Amino acid sequence: MSEGLSACAGYKPGMSANSTLSRRRKLVGAGPRQWVGLLYVAPAVALVIVFFIVPLGMTVWMSLHNWPLMGAHSFIGLDNYWAILRDNRFWNALRFTGFYTVVVTIAIFAVAFPLALFIERPRPLTGFYRTFFFMPVVVGFASASLLWSWLLNVDSGLFSPAAFALGLTEKKVNLLATFQPAFWSIIAMVVWKVAGFTMIILMTGLQSIPPELQEAATIDGAGPLARFRAITLPLMRRTIALALILSVAGSVLAFDQFYIILRGGPRNQTLTAVYWIFNQSFVSFKLGYGAALSMVLLVILLVLSLIQLRLLRKPEGLD
Amino acid sequence: MRTFIAGLAFAASIVSAALPAGAAETANIWVRADGSNFMPRIVDAFNKGHENQIKLDIIPNAEIIPKYGAAAAGGTAPDALSLDLIYTPAFSAAGQLEDITDWAKSLPYFESLSPAHVKTGSYKGRIYGLPFSADSSVLIWNKKLFKQAGLDPEKGPTNWAEIEAAAEKVNALGGDIKGFYFSGNCGGCNIFTFTPLIWASGGDILTEDGSKATLDSPQLRGAIDLYRSMIKKDLVPQGAQTDTGSNFFAAFATGNIGITPSGAFAIGALNTQYPDIDYGVTFLPGKDGGWSSFAGGDNFIVTKGTTKIAVVKEFLDFAYSLEGQTILAKYGSLPVRGDIAKEALKDLDPRYQIAAEAMAKGRTPYTVVFNDLINSANGPWTQMVNEVFFGDDVDGSIANAQETMQSIIDSAQQ
Repeated sequence: MSEGLSACAGYKPGMSANSTLSRRRKLVGAGPRQWVGLLYVAPAVALVIVFFIVPLGMTVWMSLHNWPLMGAHSFIGLDNYWAILRDNRFWNALRFTGFYTVVVTIAIFAVAFPLALFIERPRPLTGFYRTFFFMPVVVGFASASLLWSWLLNVDSGLFSPAAFALGLTEKKVNLLATFQPAFWSIIAMVVWKVAGFTMIILMTGLQSIPPELQEAATIDGAGPLARFRAITLPLMRRTIALALILSVAGSVLAFDQFYIILRGGPRNQTLTAVYWIFNQSFVSFKLGYGAALSMVLLVILLVLSLIQLRLLRKPEGLD
Repeated sequence: MRTFIAGLAFAASIVSAALPAGAAETANIWVRADGSNFMPRIVDAFNKGHENQIKLDIIPNAEIIPKYGAAAAGGTAPDALSLDLIYTPAFSAAGQLEDITDWAKSLPYFESLSPAHVKTGSYKGRIYGLPFSADSSVLIWNKKLFKQAGLDPEKGPTNWAEIEAAAEKVNALGGDIKGFYFSGNCGGCNIFTFTPLIWASGGDILTEDGSKATLDSPQLRGAIDLYRSMIKKDLVPQGAQTDTGSNFFAAFATGNIGITPSGAFAIGALNTQYPDIDYGVTFLPGKDGGWSSFAGGDNFIVTKGTTKIAVVKEFLDFAYSLEGQTILAKYGSLPVRGDIAKEALKDLDPRYQIAAEAMAKGRTPYTVVFNDLINSANGPWTQMVNEVFFGDDVDGSIANAQETMQSIIDSAQQ
């Protein structure tokens, strides 16, 4: 372990101080200590290669083919990508995914932030509340979707029959039949399921803010709102960035809830990008085209994450 | 000591079972979960009486296609597959199946095999699939509710007006009881039970060769009006609008539904799981009488290049025997051999006879893009049935579906 560390330490100055040329020479003439370092990371590298690089390479390869589920495949160059440009339903799905991502991310933060503030400081029953709010996170997304699919059922579920029995509605309302109630039901389900996780991330960020700062600001006469804006938020940049990226990436890849609860309905208005990829690959059996769509989505996600990291990086001079 | 001897005998029996005499072979066959009732029975019966053996795997309905595709690509496909017949054109077109034309035509009873199956099993004049199991669509009604509503419990509706009138009377019983049920957001359910209404009235949704979509017809509009009218009169439970098929059978099985279009499979399922429900079976009628049915079920296909083709043929021969057809009929599939159907069904519930008759005249749309057009939860057919039953713009929905279907058909032919 110590040898590996020192190998790293010996390597670092060379990276930053020397020119590219000397760096290359250094790599070529790597001593046994460097090889030992390489040996230490080998298992991780092997895992990344086998489970990420190779599948990714295969996806790229498939995306350049007309690759049906059955039968022979043929190389068609970039034709799949040209077809995507004309695939209106994919762009519609992408637009809906964007809309969903914005709405659900705002909703998750709107719920998770107050919860994090609430459970951050020790008070009676904090442990209970933390567990309580976090519980839905440990339910799998598919199981949660099945549960809500039943809760939302108009004939045998909970919400509609309950509202009807309480006299709130004149007849049982089918929540999943039209876009607005169906969409907001999904949002409610996802917030219920995910907010606890975002809450825990935000809580760790809150706890890492030194209490002295808050105290000093209080003594200087700053109100709670000013303290939140001038101290809490800026010091939580990194935490918020992490929570945001996780939430956005998760939402852009949304599939389970729309597949299980809504089947993309009502009237195909809730087809997400991943749902469309799934349909192309396993309903229309066009694996090559599905692979090309996946590559496009991957690039979009990558760009989104880079933008977020840039926007939320520490301002110059801080830290 | 006795247990030791018993153990020894047991071990010997295992050894003898594992090493049948001669050069017996074992072929691997897959079936979708819908066949999990009859398939193990017929395989068991075959294995008991034959040296060659069949190893059966049951695969969930939604997974059998991707799984087979992946296995075929990896060279681990089963020797044969009992496949939802609507997929046979697509599988044949992909060049994945063994051409069994000569063998099929040498069967003495080839002419009496279910014509709808043989039609979907053929591609460009060659035969790649032969009928295995069958399911026809029929109309079922609850006799108890009919009686309570003052209707003749022994007489089912014979045209659209009678369906609506009877549903209205049953619905008037009130409470949880509803007149009519259908799965309003399920493409597969509605191709099975809604298109026969159109066929029986003289219309169709695709041309014979599957090259043109023909949705904009007075027969389709008439059938839509029937459903819309029943929905408007509140004869259909609210859940129908979003039912993707999970309640297709279950709704009627609650005993609270007067009439529902269903399939032959419901006869077996009701008899075994809901013996208290007294129901009648009749044909799906046309607007002014006549009737039609969807011919569903499985085609038996052979993976290209399998070395076990002799075993597979031996098994199919057995399935086509009277013994095989009787086992199928007893456990939930209609017979697929018209010439011995009556005999295979003679000891069973007489309501099967109606379903078998429906099967003999049943129809199946022929297209290599059935999944895209019809079954996909997001395809044009599913979207259209949901919109025209429950939406406000029937004309727009039909026009939209017609255009989308035609473009899917056209792009598949390129």
